[in-house]
Amino acid sequence: MKKKRILALMLAASMSLGLAACGGGGGSSESPAGNSETPGTSGGEAVELQLWSFNIGGFTDSAAWDPIVAAFNEANPDIKITVTPINYQDGDQKLTTAISSNNAPDIIFEGPERIVGNYARNDLMVDLSDLWTAGGSDIPEGISSVSQLDGTYYMYPLSVAAHCMAINYEAFEAADALQYLDQDTRTWTTDNFVKAMEAIRDAAAAGTINITVPGIIYCGAQGGDQGTRALVNNLYSDYYVTEDGSSYNANSANNVKALELLQGMVDEGTMGVSTSYAAADELQAFANGTCAMTFCWNYSNYSQYAAQTQFTPFAMAFPSDDGVPELEMAGPYGFGVFDNGDQAKIDAAKKFIQFVCDDQAAGTEAVKTTGFFPVHSDWGDVYEGDADAELRAPFALMSDYLGRYYNLTGGWTEQRALWWPMLAEILTTGADVQTAADSFVEQANANIA
Amino acid sequence: MAQTSAAAPAQGKPKKQKQSPYSGMSKALIRRETISAYCFLIPSLIFFVTFVVVPMFICVFYSFTEYGLGGVKGFAGLENYVKLFQDPIFHKGFLNTVLIVVVAVPTVTAFSLWVSSAIYKMHAIPRSFFRCVFYLPVVTGSVAITVVWKWILDPYNGILNQVAGTSGFDWLGNQKTAIWFIILILFTTSIGQPIVLYVAALGNVDQSLIEAAQVDGATKLQVFWKIKWPQIMPTTLYVLVITTINSFQCFALIQLLTKGGPMNSTMTIMYQVYDTAYRLNDLGYANAIGVILAIIIAIFSAIQFKVVKTD
Repeated sequence: MKKKRILALMLAASMSLGLAACGGGGGSSESPAGNSETPGTSGGEAVELQLWSFNIGGFTDSAAWDPIVAAFNEANPDIKITVTPINYQDGDQKLTTAISSNNAPDIIFEGPERIVGNYARNDLMVDLSDLWTAGGSDIPEGISSVSQLDGTYYMYPLSVAAHCMAINYEAFEAADALQYLDQDTRTWTTDNFVKAMEAIRDAAAAGTINITVPGIIYCGAQGGDQGTRALVNNLYSDYYVTEDGSSYNANSANNVKALELLQGMVDEGTMGVSTSYAAADELQAFANGTCAMTFCWNYSNYSQYAAQTQFTPFAMAFPSDDGVPELEMAGPYGFGVFDNGDQAKIDAAKKFIQFVCDDQAAGTEAVKTTGFFPVHSDWGDVYEGDADAELRAPFALMSDYLGRYYNLTGGWTEQRALWWPMLAEILTTGADVQTAADSFVEQANANIA
Repeated sequence: MAQTSAAAPAQGKPKKQKQSPYSGMSKALIRRETISAYCFLIPSLIFFVTFVVVPMFICVFYSFTEYGLGGVKGFAGLENYVKLFQDPIFHKGFLNTVLIVVVAVPTVTAFSLWVSSAIYKMHAIPRSFFRCVFYLPVVTGSVAITVVWKWILDPYNGILNQVAGTSGFDWLGNQKTAIWFIILILFTTSIGQPIVLYVAALGNVDQSLIEAAQVDGATKLQVFWKIKWPQIMPTTLYVLVITTINSFQCFALIQLLTKGGPMNSTMTIMYQVYDTAYRLNDLGYANAIGVILAIIIAIFSAIQFKVVKTD
């Protein structure tokens, strides 16, 4: 009887522990990618590479890589590349599991936030400085600076864009709110933004437009947080991180003023808030016509949602008090190489990256698949003459408003988990903005070193 | 019978005569039987040891290390455990987990027993129909169920707000209501299996005992408590333990619906294990939380075994 009880308790305990240990594995301090047993990785023989690609723009499945890999294999038949598509919902989980069990991929396609901020910071990545020396001379300083850590390059970029927002053009037109924005520059001032939202609210209340809520500030999950950050930071022209990068900055006078403005707009019904909505929910609500704007827009989202809309999604920069927005960089998206300890694989991976990013024919194809713009300034307008060139023009315009890239600030991952609760607290409970922002900064700064 | 009763006090408590399962068998036969038994056990034992016992020990080991993306950086001693007891998110997760267990387990058990009592006597077709209806959420899978609930509870387009006339109210985004909807959804996905088990258990209750009790004038309630309840006790214990473990490990609903929000109001220990491991990449701390969760589940299971007192 006693033995049975003990056995049953052990079973109950082990069932829960087994799950907790799933993230474990070979947590040694050796190099992360233990897949170095592929036959023929030395002596110039065949090399097999694993490329894990986040769903950036059109790179949603492995088929999107097929033409690029096929073109690469024409000149390099001995390098076999297997593409595994991953997404932002569970990609981190898959990567963490793979890294901690010594099965990290050879190449990753993502942005500096993960490649440099997460993996290079943990000594998992290969130095790619030689690629920069060979082909990076025409890549702008702003992009090169975020591809490195302590002077060593860990990412080689392919394309870049700016995150922006979008409005329901017809709804704004019917509500007579177009007068508050500059359609040529796609900018608006904070005052005009507030007036436009009031017009939308009133038009919806009068039944002129079929909109449930003017806009939705989503606080449900961290994906798409760049939209809400950019909204807050632009309203009164401030930054998310102080200029020297030593502190998060949500509690600055201007950012507090912006948060207070949004709090007031929520109270007045010119803005909605949902703590259960993530960016994807808000985008869907925008596409459905539930709300008149989205704070999470770029060409990639445009291609995904435009077909569902019954209206014209009109890309706009975030409103700012001086009418001069500073947008967050989408990307730059590029490649990093995990240090798997196999020089043949590392060399092959660099060869592939160089082909995709520096060969103008292959690179143009890859850039177009992302839907963004090349980092090589020498390449010019790669979309010129394309049938959809006109649709891309507004997104190209947004690149002129690119602001500082602060996603490599220490404690970035940890602070992202604090941003949503702070927004939710301020916008749904009526909490004192300065107190909530101070608390956020204090907690975020705890990991900044 | 009277003789036995009279003799018992004089001789003290009569000892149960245990009959060996091997009585009357030759040694050679016992050896063969034993070897056969182990042969049958080995496949599942290998699986169990490899995928449950070994990870369990690995988990305990890593909980004492500083283990992040770059591998084990060093021995952390009790640091992860000390951090855990100072972590307000863990405190919130613990309270929410206990709330889910304390509300969901008795509710699921009582409701399943009630439904089973009502349907087990029915004819085969309606009984199967009701079993199917209640088992459907189990077969459908938590992801599909969650997507439907998400649509029902959508603040702007959800059917609940349309019906209730509360457009814009964020049921899953409100600190006061979110956890209760998690419990409600967990309830709908948890009752299927207990109902099927209870229907089977109630069908196996010895009818002659029920008839004898009814002949002696027992009421329906007395028949239930004195005849049926003791006989379905092993099933009840199983339902309690399994529902408790499921409630403690409530994860998919949280991951798909609220991600622990708003403001950690639906954070559970299980979700914190995932969040700490895969978003914050603090694997040592995540393992420590896992160890504590296992201990808590073991304590709850022990209490259940003690309270139910059955083999």
